[in-house]
Amino acid sequence: MKSLSLRDISVRFGEVQALDRVEISLEVGQVCMLVGPNGAGKSTLLKVLLGLVRPEQGELRIDHQMAIQDYAFREKIGYLPENVAFSENLTGWQVLSFFARARGVRKERIEEVLRFVSLEHAARRAVRGYSRGMRQRLGLAVAILTEPMLLILDEPTGGLDQEGLSVLWEVLRVWREAGRMVLLSTHDIALLERRVDQMCVFKRGRICARGTPLELREMAALPIQIYLTFDDEKVVDRLRTSEVLSSWMTEAEEKKDQGLFQVRLVIPSRALLDYFQQQPLFSSDIRGFRMEEPTLDEVYERLLEMF
Amino acid sequence: MRRVARSLILHELSERTRDRWVLVISLLFAVLASAVTLYGRSAGAKAVGLTGPSLVTLASLFVPLVALILSHDAIVGESERNTLGLLLSLPIGRMEMVWAKFIGRGLALSAAVLLGFGSAGIFAGAVSRQVLWPLLLPTLLLGLAFLSLGLLLSALYKRQVSAASAVVVVWFVLVFFYDLGLLGVLVISDGAVSQGVMRALVIANPAGLFRMQMMEVFLGTQGLEQLGMTARVPVSGVLAVLWSAWIVGPVLLSGWILLRKKVI
Repeated sequence: MKSLSLRDISVRFGEVQALDRVEISLEVGQVCMLVGPNGAGKSTLLKVLLGLVRPEQGELRIDHQMAIQDYAFREKIGYLPENVAFSENLTGWQVLSFFARARGVRKERIEEVLRFVSLEHAARRAVRGYSRGMRQRLGLAVAILTEPMLLILDEPTGGLDQEGLSVLWEVLRVWREAGRMVLLSTHDIALLERRVDQMCVFKRGRICARGTPLELREMAALPIQIYLTFDDEKVVDRLRTSEVLSSWMTEAEEKKDQGLFQVRLVIPSRALLDYFQQQPLFSSDIRGFRMEEPTLDEVYERLLEMF
Repeated sequence: MRRVARSLILHELSERTRDRWVLVISLLFAVLASAVTLYGRSAGAKAVGLTGPSLVTLASLFVPLVALILSHDAIVGESERNTLGLLLSLPIGRMEMVWAKFIGRGLALSAAVLLGFGSAGIFAGAVSRQVLWPLLLPTLLLGLAFLSLGLLLSALYKRQVSAASAVVVVWFVLVFFYDLGLLGVLVISDGAVSQGVMRALVIANPAGLFRMQMMEVFLGTQGLEQLGMTARVPVSGVLAVLWSAWIVGPVLLSGWILLRKKVI
């Protein structure tokens, strides 16, 4: 499996159009993040891919060929459901043993996976004694047990502490480097920004924006703040004489104690950053430079407003 | 049978035998069955006539309860824990999954029944062959019928607590009130309801069918008539069809409900 796409997917639950002609595609080595408000259709799309929701229309294509979610397809996927809660009577080892037997995985792999998710110390304890983060890591262990070509993670950051997040980052890194695919839904956009290749923003059953995080930043066109520090007030005066730069300049203050002058510029959008950087004014004289970009959460909010 | 189904059967057996409610009620059944057998043995020549019906009453109360507890969360429980989708993301069909769960939990139920009759067998001595052996298969059939009913309820309800409430109602209705209801019908109708209809109504309930079948084994038809019971146990072919319908029907219906679900 080198590529996978869902095309023209529509799902209706009574009066609610849960998905409306949605399309997504994934290539090997890609991590795709689905974001959107609750009920926007992220989990429904994941379930369509898993064959757990029957769409009214649409098709699955694997390597550009029509496909179905048959047993051969299901052998290639690993799934972490949202807020998964395994039987409290069983130990972590017993839970993994069942899935290992069901998947035809050797027992040594259970040990490997337990070490990978840092649960080897708790493997013989009943799940009822696990914290929420440990349960989530156990779910992650089940999902990666067979080293599946496609990993489907529904809200994987839920309940994870820093140790759990590190495990998740490692999973994403390994899957990407091994040339496999990951499709995940999340509300923790900022946490995952640097770890995904593609992002799809869902709104009322449709994908309203898609692209790399950088492309979405440009699409949102949110202002960027730049703080410049000079030791010569004349530079600030030169800034004031520039028609464009002065319009971006919101405040200038003198840091008297250190004899420095600080200026804050608000660049209307990321697209104008190149223009700003080409100004000869800034090749010298700058003592300090700090850029504050909007967070990806702000970008996401903006995109939801725009579309 | 495929690998996933086999693994699920073992998983269900292993998980269910750890359930504390199942363990408690199974142990209680074992203790009471042992006590009844021990008491019956002291009756000497009348031991079979005393122990058999007592064990029938005990089994008709406890075995359906264990079965319903075992199965009421089979599907709805997985759904609430968000593991139903995970199970069905494995290479297994929905109907196949329902059967695997039924078989796995059926094995756990059989273990509970064997524990009860096995412990009674220790005290039964010579009575064991005449009382416990004839009871074993019908008791298992009774248990499987209620297990199947519990599975159906677990497929019908969306919340585990609702399914739990429903199995309590089913247990009370089929095990306790059904016979009282029939008695009420007889009294109210002043004998207008024919014997054939009454007979059909008695055996339409798996608990009634079990009691009737076992009473005839232990007391004989004459013994039943002395108790004022004119209903007869159907011939073995009809009996097999009835038990099969009670056991297979609800399982198939559960699978059908799951197959029809648009969203898991």
